[in-house]
Amino acid sequence: MKEGDFMKMPVLDLRLTEENLDDLYDNAPCGYCSCLPDGTLVKLNHTLLQWLGYQREELVARQCLQQLLTVGGRLHFEMHGVPLLLLQGHIREISYSLRTKTGAAVPVLLNAVLLRDANGNPLVVRVTLFDITDRRKYEQELLRTKAEAEAQREQLRSQNEELIRINADLDSFVYTASHDLRQPVHNLAGLFQEFERSATFHDPASANMVGMFHEALQQLLGTIDGLTEVVQQQRELAQAPAEAVELQAFTEEVIRSLPAAVGEPEAVFTLDFGAVPTLHMARPGLQSVLYNLLSNALKYAQPGQEPRIAVRTAYHDDMVVLSVQDNGRGIDLGRHGGELFQLFRRFHPDVAGSGVGLYLVNRLVHLAGGRIETSSEVGQGTTFRLFLPK
Amino acid sequence: MEVLKRNNVTVTGTGQQAMVFMHGFGCNQHMWRLVAPAFEDRYRVVLLDLVGAGKSDLAAYNPARYSTLDAHAEDVLDVLQALDLHDTVLVGHSVSAMIAVLVAIREPARVARLVLVAPSPRYLNDAGYTGGFELADIEELFDTMDNNYLGWSAGITPVIMGHPERPELSEELNNSFCNTDPTIAQHFARVTFLSDNRADLPHVRTPALILQSAQDALAPLAVGQYLHQHLANSQLTVLNNPGHCPHLSAPQQTISAINLFLEPARIAQV
Repeated sequence: MKEGDFMKMPVLDLRLTEENLDDLYDNAPCGYCSCLPDGTLVKLNHTLLQWLGYQREELVARQCLQQLLTVGGRLHFEMHGVPLLLLQGHIREISYSLRTKTGAAVPVLLNAVLLRDANGNPLVVRVTLFDITDRRKYEQELLRTKAEAEAQREQLRSQNEELIRINADLDSFVYTASHDLRQPVHNLAGLFQEFERSATFHDPASANMVGMFHEALQQLLGTIDGLTEVVQQQRELAQAPAEAVELQAFTEEVIRSLPAAVGEPEAVFTLDFGAVPTLHMARPGLQSVLYNLLSNALKYAQPGQEPRIAVRTAYHDDMVVLSVQDNGRGIDLGRHGGELFQLFRRFHPDVAGSGVGLYLVNRLVHLAGGRIETSSEVGQGTTFRLFLPK
Repeated sequence: MEVLKRNNVTVTGTGQQAMVFMHGFGCNQHMWRLVAPAFEDRYRVVLLDLVGAGKSDLAAYNPARYSTLDAHAEDVLDVLQALDLHDTVLVGHSVSAMIAVLVAIREPARVARLVLVAPSPRYLNDAGYTGGFELADIEELFDTMDNNYLGWSAGITPVIMGHPERPELSEELNNSFCNTDPTIAQHFARVTFLSDNRADLPHVRTPALILQSAQDALAPLAVGQYLHQHLANSQLTVLNNPGHCPHLSAPQQTISAINLFLEPARIAQV
């Protein structure tokens, strides 16, 4: 701006800046009042009188500030506001409701200062009140939502507790059931063996039926073993401490322990742990997870084709991803995806299996604080991606 | 000592007898700062914060335990025990007046005199009893407290409360003298205003002074008279000063009334 421009500005009408102080007090966009230390009203502005619907004479020297508040507000003012005023000389932003002459409520924020006389004795209290009708509605809404959220959180907490209890009960039920079934089934097997040895079968179909009986008995034992394994593994994992596991050596060890597939081409394993060489997890849990995934990859290989299995690690956001990819038969996830990790669910009836493996893998990963994503294509292969905490 | 830390106990003054000051609802031991020093030349002056208030150990506030005033009375007894105090003058304001009554009933040997400032054994009206309030009034108080604690997120209170060595943190907030955890304050308000200690009064043998304000929005005159009738060994002094906190609004009158009660002979000589 050049100096010349300044001269061209319109001259301000100074009368506009000379506010009439009485008018400012009376018609300010907020309520003013002054009271004696006991609350007796000595002065109120027009704005406040208008809000309240009282004439000045009805209030001055006749009523206290506290009497203009709701009963609850009065209690709060006496217990909190007055002591604070006397202790620190001011109070700010205290939320109250004024009662108008007709009984309606005007939500206000109250600020006040205490003036003392020359001897330090309380003399007068100056009060400013701001109408917060809209803000109060919004605050009420916030309070209501907060209460709702708290109620929901409480409900979730108790539901969670209930679920944890039910889960523990189920585990212990499974353990007891498998334990209690094992002995009679073994007895049954022994008795049948004895029976088979001592009895003579005349019907030529009998030999076949004896074979079926054996098979059924073996299935029963297999199921019971599966149940016991599930519970025991979980218990072991709960007790085993998490530790840093070197993945290369650990996985090689697991691969060596896998049963060799008789008459099938030997599998080719590709291990790549360059991105994340170690994993923080309980050894028995990780052992079980890898063993089950790798033995599955071998078991469900395409007949006659060389199984190629890749095990890798990578970072994804703040998780470690351990992936096991095979070129096996694949699973129709559209059809079976929802049941993939269910106990005793099987998808390839022609291959021997107990239906325990994937169930166990899933639970162990969850116990370790992780989750599993699966992608699969029938005839192409399956990839399990285990997201584990760092 | 754990107990003294828990209740943020401060001890000043010298004398054979101890005078223990207990604050009312809505504030802390600061409330006594215009009255307590007047007794330091003749008494061991003990100030404390009720658990949940002031700089007490807020973590010790277990709502289940503190669902009645008895737990606070037990705390005060812990403090008296820890300091090995007997024959004390127990001064309680508002809700603490009733806590003092409970202490005197439990261990009379530890309490020689009771000074009850603006006391009420029950705030709610009842058949044949005027407490001054209906349940709806008290509910309104809880609402007012809710409205005033809106800005206190649970996140910021621990910062303020957990740094006694950095008072500027709490000074930044308005109304800082009587800051407290809003959740605890809400709970303590319920315990205070819904309690009924009328049945305890006949068990008190300790001489008691009832300091009543002529106009107290929380404890009407009728409540003071009720207490006077039901506390066998009591005297009622009505202070002409209106308000619920005479120890703040009229400290000199309060001090004189207490002196007159404790040492009438000495006052007469002066």
